[in-house]
Amino acid sequence: MEQDAQLVQRCLQGDGSAWEELVRRHSRRIFNVCYRFVGNRTEAEDISQDVFLRVYRTLGSYRAAHGGFATWMTSVTRNLLIDHYRRTKRDRQTDSLDDAMPVVENKESAARRPDQQALVSELSGQVQSALTKLSPELREAVILRDLQQLEYAEIQQVLAVPEGTVKSRINRGRIELAKILQQMGVRPS
Amino acid sequence: MTWTCDQLEVHLSDYLEGLLQEPDREAFEAHAQDCPECAPLLVRVRNLMTELQSMAEVETPPRLVYSILDKTLGPRETVSGWQAFRRFLGGFASLKFAYGAASVMATLIILVGASGTSLRKPKLADLSPTTVYRNANRRVHRGVANTVKYVSDLRVVYEIQSRLRQDQNELQVTPEDNAPKSSPEKQPGQSDDHTRVQPKQQNRANEIGRQLQMLAAECPVVLGRNFR
Repeated sequence: MEQDAQLVQRCLQGDGSAWEELVRRHSRRIFNVCYRFVGNRTEAEDISQDVFLRVYRTLGSYRAAHGGFATWMTSVTRNLLIDHYRRTKRDRQTDSLDDAMPVVENKESAARRPDQQALVSELSGQVQSALTKLSPELREAVILRDLQQLEYAEIQQVLAVPEGTVKSRINRGRIELAKILQQMGVRPS
Repeated sequence: MTWTCDQLEVHLSDYLEGLLQEPDREAFEAHAQDCPECAPLLVRVRNLMTELQSMAEVETPPRLVYSILDKTLGPRETVSGWQAFRRFLGGFASLKFAYGAASVMATLIILVGASGTSLRKPKLADLSPTTVYRNANRRVHRGVANTVKYVSDLRVVYEIQSRLRQDQNELQVTPEDNAPKSSPEKQPGQSDDHTRVQPKQQNRANEIGRQLQMLAAECPVVLGRNFR
C-alpha cells in the first residue's frame, strides 16, 4: 500500500485520485474521533468535512519529517473540535476545565426521561454519554488513548503538551469517567 | 511506606498500564487492598478501560466521502432531474430490451396459460401450488388427447380420400361408355337405357355411401370440416 506521504506528494502535484485515496483511508477514523468527542452524528459529520477541507487547503504545510500524516490530521481534528467546543460553549452546562466534575443527572431525573434511557440502553451508549460530560481536555485525552489507541508520544504531538500533562489528563479523565458512570448507575462489567 | 488515596489516584493509570515499578507498585497494591474507597475505584477504572478499548467504531455516513470530495475537488459531473430520468428511460428504448421484454411476456403468457389461471377473473386460489399443478396436469392431458384424436381423424380422412380416388379411377376405366350420347329420338322425361349404370358399379357406390355414413357417425367434426 502506498504511504500517506507519497499520496500527499501526488496530491500536491494535482492528482485528484491520490486525494480521494487519502479521504477514503482516513475518513472513518476522523469521523469516529469527532463522534466520540461531540456525541452527535450530524455534528461529527460536519466537523469531519471541515477537517478534510482544512487539510486539503493546508496540505502544503505538512512535513513528513515532523511526524506521520495521521497524527498531523488528528492535530487538525483536535483543533477544530476545540473550536467547535468553544463556539457551542453557551449551550452546555459543562463549560470550563474547572468543571472537571461535570453536572450529572441523578437517577431520579434520568428515570423521568424514558427517551434518553432508551438511547443509552447499551453500555457503550452509556459510556459515550458519559464521555460528553467530561471536560474537553480530559475527553480528548481519553479518546485518543483508549479509543484511538495512540501512543503517549503521538498524543503529546497532537495535543502539543508535555508527556507528563498527557499522562495526567488521561489518568484524571479515566477516574472522572468512572465516577460519572457510577453516578449514572452504570457498572462496566 | 503507606500511600494516601490521592497518591493512589495519581498513579492509577500507570499501575493499570503496567508502568509502575517497585517499590511503588507494592505500596499501591497495599493501599488498594485495605482502602474501602480506592479498591472499588480501581475495579471500576479497570473495567472502564476494558470497555473503552472494546467499543466498536461507529459506521461512517455513506455520503461523507462524497461530500468531502465535492467540497475539495469540486462537484463531479452528475445529471439530475429530467435529464437523469430521460437517460434512464432511454435505456429501455433499445432493440435488445424489446426482444427481452417480448420473450418475458411470451414466457409469462405460456406459464399463466399452463397454470390455468384465469386472467379475466383472477383469484388468489389460482396461485395455490396444488391448484396450479392440477390445472397444468389437466391441460397437458387434454392437449395430448386432442392431438391423438386429431392425428387419428387425419388418418381416417386420408383413408376415405384414398378410397374415393380409387373408386373414381375404377368408374372411369371406360369413359367413352359412360359419356352421354346424343339421342334424337329421346324425349324429355324419358329414361335412357343405354346410359344406365351397371349393377356392379351401383353396388360399389352404395358401399362407399354406407362407409361415409358410418364415418360421419364416428367423427362428425372432421367429416363436417372436410366434406361440408
